[in-house]
Amino acid sequence: MKIAVCVKHAVDEAELKTDPSGRPVLAGAVSRMSAFDKNAVEEGLRLRAAHQGEVVVFTVGPADSKKTMKEALAMGADRGVLVVADTAAIDTMRTAGLLAAAIRRAGPFDLVLCSEGSSDTYSGQVPPMLGELLGAAFVGYARKFEVSGQLVRVERSLEDSVERVEAPLPLVASVVSEINEPRYPTLIQIMQAGKKPLEELSGDQLLPHGEYREASVVSMSVQQSARKRVLIEGSPDEAAAKLLDALTKEGVLAK
Amino acid sequence: MSPAVWAYSENEGVSNEVASAAVEVAEGASAEAVVVEIGALREGARSPGAKLLLKGPASPQVSPEVAAEALARAAKQAAPMAILIGATRNGREAASRLAAKLSVGCLSDGSKLGTDGSTLTAERNVFAGKVVAKLSCPLPAVATVKVGHYARADAAPGETREVDVGPIQPLVRVVGREKKAAGAVDLRSAKVIVSAGRGVKKKEDLPLLEELAKDMHGALGCSRPLSSDLGWLPEEYHIGLTGVTVRPDLYLAVGISGQLQHIAGIKDSKIVAAINTDKDAPIFQASDYGVVGDLYQLVPALRKALAARR
Amino acid sequence: MAALDFGYLTVYLLSLASVVFAGLMVVRRSKATSVSIGPRRLLGLAKDETRRLMSGDPVFLMHLSIALGIGVTIANAVMDPGMGYLYPLKVLFLVVSVPLTAGLIASFVWRVQVYSRSKKEERKLGASGKFTSASTFLQVVLMLAIGLTTSELVLLWFPSMVYADLLLGALRNSLVAVYYSRPSVNLVGGFDRPLSALKTPFNLADVMSGKTDASQISVGVSKVSEFDRSQRLTFDSCVEIGACEAACPATAAGRPLSPRVLVRKVSLLARGPDAGASPFSAVGEDELWSCTSCGACMASCPVSVKHLDIIYELRRDLVTKGKVDKEKAALLENLAQSQNPYGLKNASRADWAREVGVGTLASEPGAEYLYWVGCISSFDQRAQRIARALSKILRQAGVSFAILGGEEMCVGDPARRLGEEGRYQELALQNIEKLNSYGVRKIIATCPHCYNTLKNEYPQFGGNYDVVYHTQLISDLIREGKVKVPPEKVQSISVTLHDACYASRYNSVFDEPREILGATVSDVREMGRRKEKTFCCGAGGSNYWYKVPQQKSIAGIRAEEASETGAKTVATECPFCLSMLDDATKVAETGMDVRDVAEIVADCIS
Ligand SMILES: Cc1cc2nc3c(=O)[nH]c(=O)nc-3n(C[C@H](O)[C@H](O)[C@H](O)COP(=O)(O)OP(=O)(O)OC[C@H]3O[C@@H](n4cnc5c(N)ncnc54)[C@H](O)[C@@H]3O)c2cc1C
Ligand code: SF4
Repeated sequence: MKIAVCVKHAVDEAELKTDPSGRPVLAGAVSRMSAFDKNAVEEGLRLRAAHQGEVVVFTVGPADSKKTMKEALAMGADRGVLVVADTAAIDTMRTAGLLAAAIRRAGPFDLVLCSEGSSDTYSGQVPPMLGELLGAAFVGYARKFEVSGQLVRVERSLEDSVERVEAPLPLVASVVSEINEPRYPTLIQIMQAGKKPLEELSGDQLLPHGEYREASVVSMSVQQSARKRVLIEGSPDEAAAKLLDALTKEGVLAK
Repeated sequence: MSPAVWAYSENEGVSNEVASAAVEVAEGASAEAVVVEIGALREGARSPGAKLLLKGPASPQVSPEVAAEALARAAKQAAPMAILIGATRNGREAASRLAAKLSVGCLSDGSKLGTDGSTLTAERNVFAGKVVAKLSCPLPAVATVKVGHYARADAAPGETREVDVGPIQPLVRVVGREKKAAGAVDLRSAKVIVSAGRGVKKKEDLPLLEELAKDMHGALGCSRPLSSDLGWLPEEYHIGLTGVTVRPDLYLAVGISGQLQHIAGIKDSKIVAAINTDKDAPIFQASDYGVVGDLYQLVPALRKALAARR
Repeated sequence: MAALDFGYLTVYLLSLASVVFAGLMVVRRSKATSVSIGPRRLLGLAKDETRRLMSGDPVFLMHLSIALGIGVTIANAVMDPGMGYLYPLKVLFLVVSVPLTAGLIASFVWRVQVYSRSKKEERKLGASGKFTSASTFLQVVLMLAIGLTTSELVLLWFPSMVYADLLLGALRNSLVAVYYSRPSVNLVGGFDRPLSALKTPFNLADVMSGKTDASQISVGVSKVSEFDRSQRLTFDSCVEIGACEAACPATAAGRPLSPRVLVRKVSLLARGPDAGASPFSAVGEDELWSCTSCGACMASCPVSVKHLDIIYELRRDLVTKGKVDKEKAALLENLAQSQNPYGLKNASRADWAREVGVGTLASEPGAEYLYWVGCISSFDQRAQRIARALSKILRQAGVSFAILGGEEMCVGDPARRLGEEGRYQELALQNIEKLNSYGVRKIIATCPHCYNTLKNEYPQFGGNYDVVYHTQLISDLIREGKVKVPPEKVQSISVTLHDACYASRYNSVFDEPREILGATVSDVREMGRRKEKTFCCGAGGSNYWYKVPQQKSIAGIRAEEASETGAKTVATECPFCLSMLDDATKVAETGMDVRDVAEIVADCIS
């Protein structure tokens, strides 16, 4: 089974700094492999262990993304393909386009795994787009795979339900973090992974600009950083009402 | 491009929110807000304006793959300026596929959506809610709408137009669906967590919090003493350094003092709220909203207030 | 004495041969393992044994009886033909034989108890029948050796029984040659190895500079054949004495670990037919994670077995294979990403210090001491009080000090004890670079894990500092009168001191906190297990950061011991002990107060 896993070298929000005008400083920000992508790599490795084959990791990102690549290779992936592009300046469609081009070039693959969303922007758009662009079946939010022959049975984790679906190979899928516990690669393993094959491609050469209409980020501003520490007072009924008002305003009360 | 903004969600309640978002966007471009239905009309789906029924699929219970294909076929004919879809898990998938099919840009999880007639703009939270990004995309465009942000439209629908998009053969076949059992919700993916601490006096009082969690569509968690020392709850409920690390939208700590070992497991929560009798409890330093008071009074009060709002 | 009696000659020569056999076996083993047994080593050993003896350890008293009993009987046997002329010596032998016989009988009785306890532990751990019989066999050999030696001593009194005496001696000497030459050599070679000594499989600085090829490095042991010679020697030296099992907090808590069983299982496997066997065919993962690295097993072992060698090597293998659960993975991730085990923003380390006006080296480069705060006292609100207390004391004494603040990173101990050597060395190298860039000479630590690492482990990576433990410095300051505790400020409370393993057992710091308590509180009570024989709080060896299946909590056992003294306060000297015992005393509802020694002092000064 040939498995492609897409990972992102994402800005670590915990280390994000702000400039004096309240904008986040993205240039040179501390970045690492997006948390959930580790689940995708782990699942790829587990499927490889069960069905033989190869795991190839793909990244679209700045040259610095090699760090993330090495980590995925240290976890056990066989080789990597890095498409160099300025991720902060391209949108999800172009990212998916670049990944699709790189995967086609290195393919064909039976299974392409992504995570449900990256830890920095968490839009979750790239995986389904990738499915469309590769013309493959797509299953999102997978929490369990069962491969038998050319058929994959998948459990999808939705908001309040679990959906069971069947999809043919080749398949593109995104996984949720509950699917597994990703392994921790040791520092030495990461250093040793430097020896594994890693191909570097230029995004500009791989795919001409202007292929899609691109969305863009106009501006960014940092919200509160520390906890708000608002104390609510009043009788139990008053306090309960005030608390619910505040939580509704924050948009965190599930419907 | 027709002056129409489409609204769609496979979830009725969310559909009504998206309808409100569509109305706001349409106003900015003197366009018409249209609620799209697939397969059949749903009683509970309201619409401030017209409804568009895409015929072809047999029932409104369609997978995102089918929804995206149906919307794409209809959009290629009618060419709406924007298609808004509720940002549920299925909605995100449908929107992304749709954008790829139409080769247009896609904004995600937007709030404060608007347009000037040539671009679609929105705001969204990124970097775990620390940063607000203003986004824009040339029209026509697709966007997902943040769930819970817009009020639900409540107008009775106007006229219904129909388009036949023809039969759709999906690659992915849905074979079954089960509700997740309450309580069996994986804490790590729960959006709301109500967490019990030693402020709860006895095991028999736990259902009180469990009910509150249910009312909030969330999961129950606890501090370590309740699982490891007292054994009132299984280990997988225990949150913190030696338990699960969680990142819900809302973490409500009830009767938890807020020792660092506990806080370490909830630091990525979007909003932390706490109920504690001790106004000096460290949990208040680590909370966005704190209520000083007795959980035995506040929890029932919260449930009452929640019920009143539903 | 029958002159040239043929029968006697045969028996005597047999006895002599058995002595030579035992001697040769010891020499052969020492050659095979390159352990030198020169006079200097032997003298050192004698000194060390005396020290252990003086600490009143009953196990050592019994072992001395056995060793001296064997010595006396051998000397007697060798000199037997000349005993007519060496009459005073004979009298001496007869005189010492009385207490030795008593000691040996006590040892025998103790062995019987050990036997029944060990079988109980084996049943609890579900040891295989093969293992149990191998273990029983060695224990019987040991009892036999004790029995034979006792009989010999008794027979000294009956000159007519000289044949029997010599024959029993020859038999015993053969047992010694076969079963006890290895432990003897191991003891001579290992008695002075520091508890903190850990094998270093690579040097990260060399790997980074390219001097060592990363792909050539293998970390941990995945086949029994990969244990090195000295490691093999130490665990093949186990003769089922069982002192470790009695001392081990993990065993006491009903965790799936007994250091004796662990060592013997690995030794039996390594001596088995399959050199490529995985140690994990005999050892369970939780067995390894159960260990708190408290060192009680090694410190109590009369033949210097190094149990922790196995534990660390196998933990390293588990980490290399990714076999860590989510708590341990989270700990390692946090250390990698945030340089502290909590995963909190490292820059906020100095928040407590800003509130009390303690400066950083960046702002006060001239400070005499660097106070190494450690992660737990930097982040944990309760433990921060230790840092505040020490700051108050140092200020009053006029000691100039500063902290690193946000520039301090975890010292690396949790990573190393968990088996992630690379992450440990990465943290160590970064810390050393920082310390050296500030030209730091003197360091104070309030955490014994930081203390041990800074003092004993950083020198290997180029960090050489004069490291003092806070209890050492405070007791000096009190003695020198720089910290004054006026009589009316002496607190009328009853206090019992819980020694931290890494301060007392690992680094012999245990008198100082007692001096401090003597000067600050009215009533000091001692627990039975104290000083270098202290009982772990359960947090060491990274145990603070994960859970292990157990029947009762280690901290709970210790809290009970503390409460049995009748003291109202437990004094700790380690922030981890403080956290564990605070928790345990609350769970047990003992109503005891748990405070660091520094907090007690701070309360006594104005
Ligand atoms: C090595 C180690 C690891 C640990 N790991 C974890 C971990 O992973 N997770 C964890 O949670 N803990 C952990 N702990 C334990 C931690 O230190 C605390 O003891 C624990 O979190 C406290 O739990 P609590 O807040 O429920 O109880 P308490 O600290 O006893 O707090 C109870 C709180 O309830 C309040 N209260 C009482 N009555 C009422 C009422 N009627 N209404 C409202 N409030 C009320 C009180 O004011 C108090 O603040 C760990 C400890 C150690 C030593
Ligand atoms: S170091 Fe301590 S916990 Fe570990 S085996 Fe030895 S005695 Fe037991």
